[in-house]
Amino acid sequence: MTLATIVLKMSEGLGKTCAIFFLTLVFSLPLGLLVALLRMSRRKAVSVVTRGVISVLRGTPLMLQLLAVTYGPYYLFGLSVSRNKLIPVVIAFAINYAAYFAEIYRGGIESMPVGQYEAAQVLGYTKTQTFLRIILPQVIKRILPSITNEVVTLVKDTSMAFTVSYQEMFTIGKQIANSQTSFVPFLVAGLFYYVFNLLVDFVMGRAEKRMSYYR
Amino acid sequence: MRKILAMVTVLALMVCCGAASADTFIQGIDPEYNPFSYMGDNGEYTGFDVEICKAACEVAGLDYQVFAVNWDNKLVQLDAGECDVIWSGMTIADTMKEAGYVISAPYYDSSQVLVVRKDSGIETSADLAGKVVAVQLGTSGEALLNGDLSALKDTFQELVTTENFLMAFTELEGGAVDAVFVDSPVAENYVSGKDSLKILDETLGAEQYGLAFRAGDEELCAKIEAAVQTLVENGTYAEIAAKYPGIVNNLLFLNAK
Repeated sequence: MTLATIVLKMSEGLGKTCAIFFLTLVFSLPLGLLVALLRMSRRKAVSVVTRGVISVLRGTPLMLQLLAVTYGPYYLFGLSVSRNKLIPVVIAFAINYAAYFAEIYRGGIESMPVGQYEAAQVLGYTKTQTFLRIILPQVIKRILPSITNEVVTLVKDTSMAFTVSYQEMFTIGKQIANSQTSFVPFLVAGLFYYVFNLLVDFVMGRAEKRMSYYR
Repeated sequence: MRKILAMVTVLALMVCCGAASADTFIQGIDPEYNPFSYMGDNGEYTGFDVEICKAACEVAGLDYQVFAVNWDNKLVQLDAGECDVIWSGMTIADTMKEAGYVISAPYYDSSQVLVVRKDSGIETSADLAGKVVAVQLGTSGEALLNGDLSALKDTFQELVTTENFLMAFTELEGGAVDAVFVDSPVAENYVSGKDSLKILDETLGAEQYGLAFRAGDEELCAKIEAAVQTLVENGTYAEIAAKYPGIVNNLLFLNAK
């Protein structure tokens, strides 16, 4: 197998890797905010339950969660396993990452001084307006570096999808490495991930710059 | 200054494909098990088991499809209907029969061998006392060492499990482990290109390969077995086998006594 074929074959898998990556972000970023709000709910029951859920999601391996989401419905309810593996994979990733994002959002929201809420109240803002127009924009600005951290990790975590036979880039790389008894595919994979993360870094850096409107 | 970020994401998750038709036969393979099933030079799956299954499907009038399983979860994936058979150099284990899976007649006799570095001075399994040995996770070799051969395992300093056999061999060549415990055809295949390695003469725990179908699929199993028998009789089987010289001697249908 020539290097060109190796790269080509792995590029096909890269599309699937990207699908996991983008879909996970699209779902987990809003879901994380929702979970953060539930976690900070004044209702004790809601906050305790959410806290438990986050604890389980952060405390068990993503690999296990992937298996549970993919095969759990079959074993528990006899439902057939999705032929499109992207669906269970994205569900598992999105839920898992939402748990991490939720704690980042919470850190950001709780770091805002109470004075801002009071000032907004005096100025006649409703609670929703206060949150959406005053608090959230500042929170996003503050938590962006932590979010970047998670996003970079997500790029590399996509390789975990091999657990449920989703043929993403690294899974294919492993198969080629095996048939060609060569480590070249691993080098190619490393390069793919690194370049991917350089792009992530660049995009997030730009976003941070645009957000630094007080400087 | 306020920015309104309007993000409209149209998601068309293809909830695709519907159920596969009744005439589709999906072969579940370990895509990293050269020479039985692996990714060929053109990027398509190939290997002895893949070629035989394709030919058998033609004989039986079934639409062939291939599915790469995760070997650790192969029976889960079979149960869940992601494939119709596990056919990929799979060792027949009594536990599978006990669990109700329909197991075909064996087609291959595998033995486990030890691969060592030529300069290591290791000649028999007894020399492995105090050494580090590697084995691939989820293979019959690993099961043997944790079962029937656990007395041998106890003499090792350590048993290292690797995710695939390439990693085990790389550790061996790199000096991180002293021996690799692996199926003999896999060993033959790998060692043939390496001057620094050798296979010990001693074979351990001879085992047989077969196909595993879901519980209740006796009819399907019989249909496939008959199709394979046709291939044996018309010579296609031997033709395909000739492409895989490392395993020819262990094929039961060709070496029937």
